[in-house]
Amino acid sequence: MEKKIGVYVCECGPNIAEKVDIDKVINAVSSIDGVAVVEKFKLLCSGDGKKFLEDEIKKHNLTHLVVAACSPKQHEQTFMEVCENAGINPYLFQLANIREQCAWITEDKDEATEKAIRLTKAAIGRVRYHSSLEKKELECTPNVLVIGGGVAGIETSLQLASPDRKIYLVEKSSSLGGLVTNFEKTFPNMSLTSDVMKQKIQSVNENENIKVFTDAEVEEVLGFFGNFEVKVKKRDEDKSSAEFNVGAVVLATGSTLFDPKKTSQYGYGELDNVVTALEFENMNSSGKITLKNGKKPNSVAIIHCVGRDETGYCSEVCCMYSLKFVRYLKDKISNVKVSNFYSDLCIPGKTYQKFYDQTKGKHVDFIRSADLKVTKKGDKLNIEYKDENGSKKNLGADMAILAPAMEPTSDASGLAEVASISIGDGGFFSEEHEKLGQISTTTEGIYIAGCAQGPKNISETLVQADAVTGKILSSLIPGKKIEPEVKISQISESFCIGCKKCINVCSYGAITFDEAKKISVVNEAICRGCGNCVAACPSGAATLKHFTFNQIYQELMEAVQ
Amino acid sequence: MIKSEDNSKNKCAIVSSKSDTKESVIDFLKKAMDEGIFDAVLIPMMTPAGDSFAYVLIKDKTLLKDGAPLSPIMSVQGAKAVSSVTRLGKGKMKIAAVMRPCEIRATVELSKLGQTDLENITLISMDCPGVLPLSDFLGDPKKGMKLFYDAAEKWDYKPMRPVCQICDKSSMIAGDLHIGTLGAKKDTFFIISNSQKGKNVLDKLGIDPKESADSWQAKVKTITEEKHKKREKNLKELKSKIGGLDNLTDTFSQCINCHNCMRVCPVCYCRLCYFDSDKVKHTSEDYLKIAERKGSIRFLPDTTLFQMGRMLHMSISCVSCGACEDACPVSIPVAQIFSMIADETQGLFDYVSGRDIEEPLPLITYKEEELNDVEDSND
Repeated sequence: MEKKIGVYVCECGPNIAEKVDIDKVINAVSSIDGVAVVEKFKLLCSGDGKKFLEDEIKKHNLTHLVVAACSPKQHEQTFMEVCENAGINPYLFQLANIREQCAWITEDKDEATEKAIRLTKAAIGRVRYHSSLEKKELECTPNVLVIGGGVAGIETSLQLASPDRKIYLVEKSSSLGGLVTNFEKTFPNMSLTSDVMKQKIQSVNENENIKVFTDAEVEEVLGFFGNFEVKVKKRDEDKSSAEFNVGAVVLATGSTLFDPKKTSQYGYGELDNVVTALEFENMNSSGKITLKNGKKPNSVAIIHCVGRDETGYCSEVCCMYSLKFVRYLKDKISNVKVSNFYSDLCIPGKTYQKFYDQTKGKHVDFIRSADLKVTKKGDKLNIEYKDENGSKKNLGADMAILAPAMEPTSDASGLAEVASISIGDGGFFSEEHEKLGQISTTTEGIYIAGCAQGPKNISETLVQADAVTGKILSSLIPGKKIEPEVKISQISESFCIGCKKCINVCSYGAITFDEAKKISVVNEAICRGCGNCVAACPSGAATLKHFTFNQIYQELMEAVQ
Repeated sequence: MIKSEDNSKNKCAIVSSKSDTKESVIDFLKKAMDEGIFDAVLIPMMTPAGDSFAYVLIKDKTLLKDGAPLSPIMSVQGAKAVSSVTRLGKGKMKIAAVMRPCEIRATVELSKLGQTDLENITLISMDCPGVLPLSDFLGDPKKGMKLFYDAAEKWDYKPMRPVCQICDKSSMIAGDLHIGTLGAKKDTFFIISNSQKGKNVLDKLGIDPKESADSWQAKVKTITEEKHKKREKNLKELKSKIGGLDNLTDTFSQCINCHNCMRVCPVCYCRLCYFDSDKVKHTSEDYLKIAERKGSIRFLPDTTLFQMGRMLHMSISCVSCGACEDACPVSIPVAQIFSMIADETQGLFDYVSGRDIEEPLPLITYKEEELNDVEDSND
């Protein structure tokens, strides 16, 4: 069939029209072989614009569509839908980005116009070699595996569980609750933690759509978004195991605390009355803030940033819970003197400053210090430090509370292997993108919530639990099928030499080896179309749909000619 | 594999020849078959007509006597033979493959590409004097036979193929066992193990490599240096002749597009060559457009492009074995050209094809610091 390509240039209001000579662009591409019609329009993404495009496709019997407008991120989907409505395959369309890549960045109008012409020609050059691609649908299960029974895991489970969505909550310890169960109160509103947690845990246990495994670990996660096969093993004596299918996995394994014994400067484990934040929380909960000799402390040093240098990051919550400790102390011991030693105070957000202002005051000091060392002097502790001017100082205290950095749990790396995701800086699970994909991972259907992704407070953890819930609710809908990526890799059976290089470079585990045929096979449900295999394939067997060698070549030739 | 700290290379066993080296090597293989160390031997053998040599997989050990460990020609590159035997599975048989060093290096490359499974293969190399040009030999096999064995005895490589004359990897490089004839006293040769597998074979045969291999190493060094010098000189001359697109096009203008070079190349691993596929065939409309742009277009087209494509594709794994040049019916010095390009492309990645089975192929290895080169040039 003869190709009839329609090219439409969008003025994007004044955005493109003022910076690119659109008539020149139209002129330059109108005589290209196969181009049936070239038009401009004020705003193609508007209702009128979409209607115009649809009518044009029908009127001219267009086979292919090129739109020169904005970034694909913004409106590729919009124009693909127009194609679908007008009855042509949405993949027989190409968007040339002449706004972000020309109008907005090129000062000189002639240069911007020249570049717009090239980009439009490149789009025309490639679109004529596009093939129709069809969407596929796959059955899936809406059930979810949540690993870790702390705040993040409990919240995600409670929100997701419903009669048509079963949740499997796996906790490695013998009870639910996680680190938070150690806290009497939480900052900044000093509300009681235990009642809320007790309620939440009870809700989980009473929810018949949540199956809880305690003393258990996840041994195997195989498959892909919508269809993961999971194996869970109990750590008790009978080592019984359970197998089930889920559509998504949530990693909510939380964090642990940096061990202050790794550095000798704080005397932890050697000197009496040097305790960690967690030990202090337990002292406080049991109502016994006392020294080794049973007496109440008259002076307490709270040392922030323990392990910050070693781990290489600020753990974000230690300053705030140290302020909470000041409140604990002030509430329970009148006239106690509290000195906070910090290197940088981290009190962000709309309520923390107020909490800080209300906490500091009489007998509460904040000392910015460096090179801090805890030693013993008589029956007291001595805090040696350098003040902001670099002069050496000493301060006596009955008790020292260390605020250690938050670290990933010891099983994080093993779990990353099981779930085929990567570990990033500091040993926490790597999110897909620092800003744009904080709770997703490079494996579709595997999400991270809470401190498993990095240090954060309870509020932030709950927000992440909400975000994960939202992702799963919107993508794994009971009774609905999932649509896997269409622009995926394919490996030609007759070209593949079976060298397995593609398997080594596939980040998604989407390629398996057919031992009988000695060739690599792409799992269409897992492949995300990144193209790694195409680049690594030595024999040209792997190609990427919609990014074939020829399409890329034609596009490049037009752009550089 | 050879590691610089590995000093097993300095130790060898010295075997006395009964009559000549060839027969002693055959005896060694036969003994290993008797002991059940090998179930079969892959080795070149004279064809029944007596005018050529081919690789044969010998299961009947009485046939071993006709094996020609150092055949005068390379009719089929040994790596292709090993790959054919094992590509679809290693099987149960333990096989000894007796090959030239370049054939072993090509085998190692193919193993990295998953085109052969070496688990049950013991690779045995020999000091290689080179081979005669195939066409010279086939013109008069009898004369060729005498010419080769006389020259080989004296390590005179002048009658050998041009690419053999400049080969600086003609002794032990990779493989499991090596038979050293350089620097050996009359009627003796050295056996050197080059891997744990090779060591195990010697153990089972009760051969203890405890003697000094110094004289072998010294001679290998001399010959290698001599040939390396010649290599540098010849390739420099070649470069001045073929450098630049015009010269390169002239060099390949004789090409008749037979693609023999690709078909005999041991490391051309594609099932279907891109240049044999429909992807390089165009409509008359397209050809006319090209003709319009350039004034005319030659048919069959893409001869230089084919050679450049092949250089781009496999010069990283090229072992300079010379099979392509032997197969070229119009005598283009294609092996020397490829050898020269291979030095440069492999040099970019500090890679030597077939040197070490553990050394990953550069094009599938990503190193972050590689990007620094690109970054610097943009500054």
